[in-house]
Amino acid sequence: MSFSLTQILLFIAAYLSGLFAVAHFAERGIIPQRITRHPAVYVLSLGVFAGALASNGTVELAYRYGYSFLQYYIGIVALFVMATLLLLPLLRLCRVYQLSSLADVLTFRFRSRWVGAVITIAMCITLLPLLALQIQAVADSIHILAGDTHYLTTNASHQDGLAFLFCLIIIVFSILFGTRQAVTQQRNIGLVTAIAFESLIKLASLFVLFFVAIYSVFDGFSGLELWLAQNPSISGLLDQPMRGDSARALLLIFFAGAVCMPHIFHMAFAEKPEIHDLRSAGWGLPLYMMLLSLPVLPVTWAGIKLGHDLPLDYTGLAIGLKLQSSSVSAAAFVAGLSAASATIIVTTLALANMCLRHLILPGQVLQIDDTQSIYTQFKWVRRALITVLILAGFAFFVVINNRESLIQLGLVAFIGTLQFLPGIAATFYWPNANHLGLLSGLAAGLTVWFFTMLLPIISSFEPSLLNYFSLPWLYEGGNIWVAATLVSITLNTSLFIVVSLISGTSSEERVAAEICSMDDLIRPIRQKLSLRSPGEFAQSLSTHLGQKTAQAEIVRALDELQFDTEEARPYALRRLRNRIEANLSGLLGPAVAHDIVNQSIPIQPSLHTGTEDINLIERNLDRAQLQFTGLAADLDNLRRHYRETLNNLPVGVCSMGADGELLMWNRSMEQITAIPAVTVLGSLLDSLPDPWRDIIGKFLEGDTNTVLKKEVSIRPGSSRWISLHKTSIEDSSNAGNDRVLLVEDITDYELLEEELLHSERLASIGRLAAGVAHEIGNPITGIACLAQNLEYETDTSEIRNMAHDILTQTDRVTRIVESLVNFSHVGSGGGDIQLTPSNLADCVDEAIHLLQLDHQAKAVKFTNHCNREMVVLADSQRLLQVFINLLGNARDACESGGEVQVMAHSKAELIIVDIEDNGCGIPPGAQTQIFEPFFTTKDPGEGTGLGLPLVYSIMEDMGGSIQVNSPTDNDLKSGTRVTLQLQPGSYGAEFELLKVSE
Amino acid sequence: MYINRALLLIVGIAFIFMPTIEEWVVSGGSAWYRPYQLWMLIVIAAYWNQRARYPDEL
Repeated sequence: MSFSLTQILLFIAAYLSGLFAVAHFAERGIIPQRITRHPAVYVLSLGVFAGALASNGTVELAYRYGYSFLQYYIGIVALFVMATLLLLPLLRLCRVYQLSSLADVLTFRFRSRWVGAVITIAMCITLLPLLALQIQAVADSIHILAGDTHYLTTNASHQDGLAFLFCLIIIVFSILFGTRQAVTQQRNIGLVTAIAFESLIKLASLFVLFFVAIYSVFDGFSGLELWLAQNPSISGLLDQPMRGDSARALLLIFFAGAVCMPHIFHMAFAEKPEIHDLRSAGWGLPLYMMLLSLPVLPVTWAGIKLGHDLPLDYTGLAIGLKLQSSSVSAAAFVAGLSAASATIIVTTLALANMCLRHLILPGQVLQIDDTQSIYTQFKWVRRALITVLILAGFAFFVVINNRESLIQLGLVAFIGTLQFLPGIAATFYWPNANHLGLLSGLAAGLTVWFFTMLLPIISSFEPSLLNYFSLPWLYEGGNIWVAATLVSITLNTSLFIVVSLISGTSSEERVAAEICSMDDLIRPIRQKLSLRSPGEFAQSLSTHLGQKTAQAEIVRALDELQFDTEEARPYALRRLRNRIEANLSGLLGPAVAHDIVNQSIPIQPSLHTGTEDINLIERNLDRAQLQFTGLAADLDNLRRHYRETLNNLPVGVCSMGADGELLMWNRSMEQITAIPAVTVLGSLLDSLPDPWRDIIGKFLEGDTNTVLKKEVSIRPGSSRWISLHKTSIEDSSNAGNDRVLLVEDITDYELLEEELLHSERLASIGRLAAGVAHEIGNPITGIACLAQNLEYETDTSEIRNMAHDILTQTDRVTRIVESLVNFSHVGSGGGDIQLTPSNLADCVDEAIHLLQLDHQAKAVKFTNHCNREMVVLADSQRLLQVFINLLGNARDACESGGEVQVMAHSKAELIIVDIEDNGCGIPPGAQTQIFEPFFTTKDPGEGTGLGLPLVYSIMEDMGGSIQVNSPTDNDLKSGTRVTLQLQPGSYGAEFELLKVSE
Repeated sequence: MYINRALLLIVGIAFIFMPTIEEWVVSGGSAWYRPYQLWMLIVIAAYWNQRARYPDEL
C-alpha cells in the first residue's frame, strides 16, 4: 500500500487550499462572526503550539522517558492555568502598547534598538531547527507514504527536491494567509480561524490513530490492559520517570517555549484576544492539550506491538502500513501535515514581522515611499521575509541531512528559546534589570547553547570535546541537553543579574520597568507637548510616515479615544500621543515608533521630570475593577471619600498645576461658571471661555490671596458676584507649586444687601417726607385759604387771576405733600395693608377706567387680557394704586395711539402679571435707579419720582415683587415690560357659602 | 498588575518537587490513564476558577 508522489503533493496542495478557503470564508464573513469570534476558535488557534513534535515526536519522547513526555504539554498548560503570573501582564502590556512579539516586549521594556535586533536575530537562529523539524516531518512522511522507506534507513544523500517542493507550496500559502491584511494591527480573522481549523483536524487525526490503536491493534481497552500486563517491561517504562534534573529541565524548556516561541506569542497576544477568550483558554487549552496527548501512549504501544523498522517519530504511519490501511496512514500524515504547516506559517509570519520592525525599519534598509501607502510597502517586505525564512529553514534541513530525530531538533530549538525567559520574567518582576544585563546574559546562554546543542547537529563537532575545557560534567549521563539547559540558563541568569546590578538602569528603562511592573500601564506623568492640536500632530508625523499614513493614524487614534478633531486639551493631547505611539508600535515596532513619536511630537524639555497626571491616575483607578485589599483598599476608600467631599463642597474648587493645567473643577464650580468639568479638566487656563479666563487668570497673577467681591457679567444686563480665594500647594518634585482656587457665589448675599439698603433708604426718606409734609401742609393750607379769600373779595380781575394761580400752585403743592404722606405711610412699613382675595381683572379694569377719566392725557389703547377668574391675595386699594401708577407711566411713555396691554398667568404657585407697552422704553442707565425716590425721567413738573418707589414698597408689603425689562423690542429699542409677582388668592369656603345663600 | 505571591510560591514548590509529584502520580502500578484523571481534575478546577475570577482587568 503506497501513494504516488504526485498524489501526495496534490493532496498537500488540496489540503492547504481547503485551509485557505476556510481563511477566506472567515474574512469574507461567510463563516459567521459568532463562530470566528467564538472563544473556542481562539483556544483552538493556540493549538499551534503542538507542531510536528506533538503529532510525531512525542511518541519517541514517551518511549524514551515514559510519562515525562507529558512535560511537553504541561509547560503550556501551566502557563494558561496560572495566567496571572505571566500571561495576563503580557496580554495587558501587548494590548495597550500594541506589542506583538517577544522582541517588541523586550525592546519596549529595555528601551534599546539593539535589544530588538539581537532578540530578532537570535530568535531566527534558534528557530531554524524548529522549521527544519517541521519540514523533515513532512518530507519523511511523504517518502514513507510513497513507499520509499529506504530513504530513512540509509545515510545516502537525500532527495531534497521533495522537501523543497513542499517548502515552495508552504511559502505560497504562508504569504496568502499571513499577509492578506496590509495592516497588522487588526485581528487576522482568516489566519486565526484557519489555524483553529488545523488544530481540529490535528486532533481528529490523532483520535483516529487512537481508536485504531485501541480497537484494531489491541481489541479494545481490556485488550490493551491485558497486553500491558503481559509485557511488564513495556509498562515498566512508564514507571521510570526521569531523574529530577531532567524532568525539571524538560518542564522548564517547554514552559519557556510556550511563552517565548514566536508562533505561540503571535496567536496568544498579537491576534488581539478579548478577556473572555483568555478566560476560556484558561481551561479550554488544558483540555485541548489533554485530548491531544491522550493518543500518544496507545499509539506508541501499538507501534511496539506491531513491530516496525521506521523511526519512532513515524509510528502512526507505521501502524497504517502494518495494518495495510491507507486511511490510517492518511490520518497519520494529515496529523503531521496540519501540525507542521500551522507551525511553519505562523512562525515565519511572526518572525517576518519581527525582522521588519527590528532589523529592516531601525536599520533604515527600507526607504518609505511617500507616494504609496506605508501599509502596502510593508506587506511586500513581509512576503519577502517569509520566503527567506522558510528557505533558511529548508537550508538548515539540508545541512543537518536528516541525521537528527525530531525530538533532538525540537530540544535544540526549545533550549534556544529558553534563553529569552530571564528577559521576559525580569520585564514584570525585576525593575532593576537593564539592557546590558539582558544582552550579556543572552550572549552567555546562547553561546553555551550554540556549542552544546546547535554546533553538534550542523557539524561534526563533538560536545565531548568540552572535556578538554574542564567541563566534563556537561556530558555526564549522555543527556547533554539537560546539562546544556541548566548550564546555559544558570549562566544567562547570573550574568543578567550581575551586569544589571553593576551597570545601573537608565531613567527611560526605569520608567518602562514601572509601566511593566505596576498596575497603571500608562505612566501618569504630566508632560508638556510642543504641539497644540491633532492637526499639528499629523503635519509633523507626515515627515516620517508620509501625509496619507500620518493622517490615517491620527484619525484612527482620535477615533479610538473618542476625541474631537479640534481637541486641544493638553491632557487629551498627551493621551493622543501615547495612543499614536502604541498604534505605530503595532505597525513599526516599539523602538521605531518611540523614536518617530519623540521626534515628531516632542515633549518640552523644561518639564521632562513632569508631575503626576492626576486626571489620568483618577481615571485609571476608577476604571480598574480590581478588588483592592488591605492598605490599598483603605487608600482607595480615602481617595474616594476626599474626592467626593471636594466634589460636593458648596464652594467652587478649582486646582491647577504649575503649568496652568486644570486638575480639578468641582460641581459647584460647574454651577457657578456653567462650564462642565469634562470640557475643562486637563486643559490649560487659557482655554477657559470669557469672562472666567480673565477673572481667574488675573486673580492668580495678582498679589492678593483674597478678593471679597467681584462682579461677573455673564451676559449684558445679568451680573453675578463672586468671592475668590487662592493658595498654593507645595510640591516635592520641584516642578513648581500647584494652586487651589476657591470661588464662592455671593450673588444672593449681594442682592439681599442691596435690598436691605434700598429698604432702609426708603424708610429714611419716608420719615423725612412725613416730617416735611407735616411742616409744609399747615402753611400751605393757610396760603390756600388766604388766596381763596383774596379771590372772592376782590373785583380786580388781575388780582383774581393771581389768586387763582396761587390756588393752582398750592393745589399742586398739596398733591405733592399728599404723595409724600402716602409714600411715608407705605415706605415706613406702616399702613394698614390687609391682604384679601381680590379679582385681578376687575382691579386692572378699575385702574384703566380711572386713567381714562383724564381727557387731557394722550389717547392710548389699554387692553386687559387678564383671566376674569384670576384672584390674587392683595390689598385691593393698594393694588389699584400700583396699577394706576404703572399704567399711568406706560401711557406717559407711549406716543398717541400707543398700546398698553396687561396679561397674567400662573407660574410655580405665583401669579405673574405683565404690563407691556410699546413706548420709548427706559434707558439702560436709568433702570437701576427707577425705584429710587425722586428719580424721574419725565420733564420737570410732570412727575414727582415717587410713583415707582411707592409701587415697589406696596409690592414688597404685599409679599410680591416687581421687575422691569426694557427694551422689549431689541430692534427698535422700544417697549417696556413690568412684571409683577403676586400671591394667588381664593375666595374660599366663606365666599362659596355666601354665593349659595344669595 | 499584582504579583500573586501565593501562586508564585505554589509554582516554586511544584517545580522543586515536580519529580516527586510525578513519581506519586504514576506510582502503585495504577491504570495508565491515571495522570489524565488528575489532569481532568485540573481542567475542572481551572473552569470553576475562571468563573469566579477575572473581572475585565485589561
